[in-house]
Amino acid sequence: MSALPNKAEPTPAPPAVMRSAVTLPAFPDMTPARWTVTSALVALAAGIPLVMTNQYALSVMVTTLILLVLNISWNFVLGVAGVWNFGQLAIYALGGYGAGIIMLHTTVSPWLAVLAGGVVGTLAAVLLAFPTLRLYGIYTSLLTFAFAVVIQYVIVNDGSGLTGGTFGLPIVKGLYSSLSLAASARAYYWTALAVVVASTIVLAAVGHSRLGIALRGVRDAPAYAAARGVSPMRYRVIAFAVSGFLAGIAGGLYVSYNQSISPSAMGLTPMSIDVTMLVIGGLGTATGPIIGTILLAIVQTSLVSHPGAELTILGIFLLVVVVFVPDGLAGLAARYWRRISAWAAEDDQSGEAAGPGEAAEIPEGSPDPNVA
Amino acid sequence: MAATDLVGIAVTTIILGSIYGLVAIGMTLIYGTLRILDMSQGSMVMVGSFVGWGILVVAGLNPVIAIAAAFAATFVLGVLTQLVSVQPLMKRRNAIDFEMVTFITTFAVAMILTNVALELLGPQQRNVTPVISGGVNIYHGVNLPYQSMAMAIVSIALMAGLGIFLARTRWGMAIRAVAQDLDAARLMGVPVGKLYPLTMGLASALAGIAGVFLGGLYFAYPQAGDLPLLEALIVVIFGGLGSLPGTVYAAYAIGLIQATAEVLVGTTWSLPILYGVILLVLIIRPYGLLGKPSEARL
Amino acid sequence: MSEPMLQVAGLRAGYAEATVIRGLDLAVGAGEVVVLIGPNGHGKTTLLRAISGIIRPAAGQVLLGGKDVTGWPAERIATGGLVHVPQGDGLFAEMTVEENLLMGAFPRSSWRSRRKELAGVYERFPVVAARAAQRGRTLSGGERRLVALGRALMRPSRIMLIDEPSLGLAPVAIDTVYEAIAELKASGATIVLVEENFTHIGGIADAVHVLETGTIVASGPYAELASDPAIVQTYLGSL
Repeated sequence: MSALPNKAEPTPAPPAVMRSAVTLPAFPDMTPARWTVTSALVALAAGIPLVMTNQYALSVMVTTLILLVLNISWNFVLGVAGVWNFGQLAIYALGGYGAGIIMLHTTVSPWLAVLAGGVVGTLAAVLLAFPTLRLYGIYTSLLTFAFAVVIQYVIVNDGSGLTGGTFGLPIVKGLYSSLSLAASARAYYWTALAVVVASTIVLAAVGHSRLGIALRGVRDAPAYAAARGVSPMRYRVIAFAVSGFLAGIAGGLYVSYNQSISPSAMGLTPMSIDVTMLVIGGLGTATGPIIGTILLAIVQTSLVSHPGAELTILGIFLLVVVVFVPDGLAGLAARYWRRISAWAAEDDQSGEAAGPGEAAEIPEGSPDPNVA
Repeated sequence: MAATDLVGIAVTTIILGSIYGLVAIGMTLIYGTLRILDMSQGSMVMVGSFVGWGILVVAGLNPVIAIAAAFAATFVLGVLTQLVSVQPLMKRRNAIDFEMVTFITTFAVAMILTNVALELLGPQQRNVTPVISGGVNIYHGVNLPYQSMAMAIVSIALMAGLGIFLARTRWGMAIRAVAQDLDAARLMGVPVGKLYPLTMGLASALAGIAGVFLGGLYFAYPQAGDLPLLEALIVVIFGGLGSLPGTVYAAYAIGLIQATAEVLVGTTWSLPILYGVILLVLIIRPYGLLGKPSEARL
Repeated sequence: MSEPMLQVAGLRAGYAEATVIRGLDLAVGAGEVVVLIGPNGHGKTTLLRAISGIIRPAAGQVLLGGKDVTGWPAERIATGGLVHVPQGDGLFAEMTVEENLLMGAFPRSSWRSRRKELAGVYERFPVVAARAAQRGRTLSGGERRLVALGRALMRPSRIMLIDEPSLGLAPVAIDTVYEAIAELKASGATIVLVEENFTHIGGIADAVHVLETGTIVASGPYAELASDPAIVQTYLGSL
């Protein structure tokens, strides 16, 4: 999946403003130092299952990583494209059910089944995108949420036995049925981590590509973007498709790892937790979903025996972050990081190679790259 | 369809429509004035149910006290919700994401209230004594409980009262003025800093009263507000955000759809059918029945 | 001149990142009609908005009847006796003309006498009385302006700010509006009026200030400025 080099692809009517000859850097925020730190963190994360012997902790981590894939997909449509899509969990569940049903009733490779989950997710998302095109903000949220409720009811009340109703699908094989319990947990961990890393990189690149700029333009200044020839319709459908594919993959991973899926995977409570994760982390940023999901997974796990207190604390957290830290923890971190590096740059006058580049970037390091 | 079915549908429509209207009209009032979709309205219903339970069952007092107490408690809670989750954000009122942000903060308040109730009172469903017990057989086996009748009457009276308050009184007119032109209203001397919390308190108090009745029909429990919230959301958006008449029409329209679906296909499918209808309505009329793109409010 | 009714000193105000008013001084005596002339986009409306508290001044002082009201919220200044007829009238579009007028009497002290004031406005503007039950959005431009002026009369004021009363109106309607303003002046009202040019203000203005890029660049009695060829040439307004 190459997001960027597609620029040569002939499109029907490329808007003039988008046709600029300037090559957009895929990762303008990434300095060599940051790449090094990021790679080290990924390597560290990949090493965890090698030293972690606690099976419960590992299973929590796998679940969190799969949830993170879902949250990354949701962040793309909710944060980057700014579409109030509250049907994402239904798309995720459809992907899961699609993959699960294929694993259950056919003999094709479970990997293909997971991929099929992604395709189901894409189709469902595109289908959902069309009716939202004419809607505005809150109306979109109701329509997409209505979609989710209808899907959930259809799954619960399915008379044909395909979905298994409230109880969900019977046991499916999953990706690593031949491995031992401990080995398969590790394998799932690495698989989910790989998907997280790949999707973060791809979506970050997409975010800085023409598509991403167009999406943010449509989000922040719809009239202006439309006047510059950016079709809100086309870009919204693409955003839904990309995000739906990833959500479907997340659903496929979920059904493989849990060897089942039931309607409780969607619904109001998981949705509120996911929204909280995204908002606390920082909607629309690349690192936000990662920070929010991991942080809240830790909070949730440590409060697991007090269900009331858990959500109360999440609620307070959410309130405080939205009121006092409008751009989430990722935004907060970025601001402090900028202040620290500005301070370091002041101190270190003789900075070379990386120095001048970074120093030049600091004053105009605006957090929201508007089209205007 | 037999005649009993038709009578049954009519009765259910009036009852459901009145409850939906009472909860939804508060949301419309808030949206029209503050431009936010208040997700904490469902919790106000829940709090109202628990206050009803506390006064009627635990303390054994009479229903009028229960309604007054629910009104007072949820009014205060609504004012506090505004001060905590909305007022600090009012300076970002013109930002493109204001609706989204307040949607989330009021949702956070709902989360907090629901789960505080869960910690303090436990997950059990509490039986709330109906405000009035008994019922009347109005037509060949169509039973109308007095509780439902009282609820419909009180709801309609409260909605009418709100209408009169907005049309005739000094503060009611001020609420409409703020909804239509904030700066001009301030130039008239309307203290918006007081008016916003007052509006949210008032709307929450209506939901709280609805809660006392709903608690008598169903139960008082921490999630008692979830379904009323969803239904109210459907109603306000179906009717067109910020349109009070639209909300009232939509409340009864939704009541009718649900009552008909219950008779024709049973209770299980009535909610998905309702959502299906909403999907269609929004595809055909993107701003609901009486909604307008943005300017016209209250 | 004793204590001025309105005194503005060193005022700076604007929006997010653009300072529009850059250090402005102004004094308006009781019963005086002061007119601010200036081209579009040079801060006339912003000045009025800063005085009435719709936007918060960044620096400087606003004194109303000798009392420092700098930084007060608009509703408090309004209750304190300042009436501002904003650009575009600021009518409540979905409310009837009568409701619009009643809103003018919102402060508690004037609410009691609202019926009497209402009758007074209807008597003064029969056109408004004829439209009493119509919604604000259904009125013509001239009617709207008269309703806005009538609304300004619903409570006692110490000073009135009127923003471009001729804006967007047909000549006949402008004449009606200015007749009404002349009556206000005759009844002893203190008025700060903003206009783009000299066309309509003859016979009304006691003092005229020319506002350019956020400061006052010329001041004087109407007759003096209106006969200054340099100024007249810039602010064309056929005389």
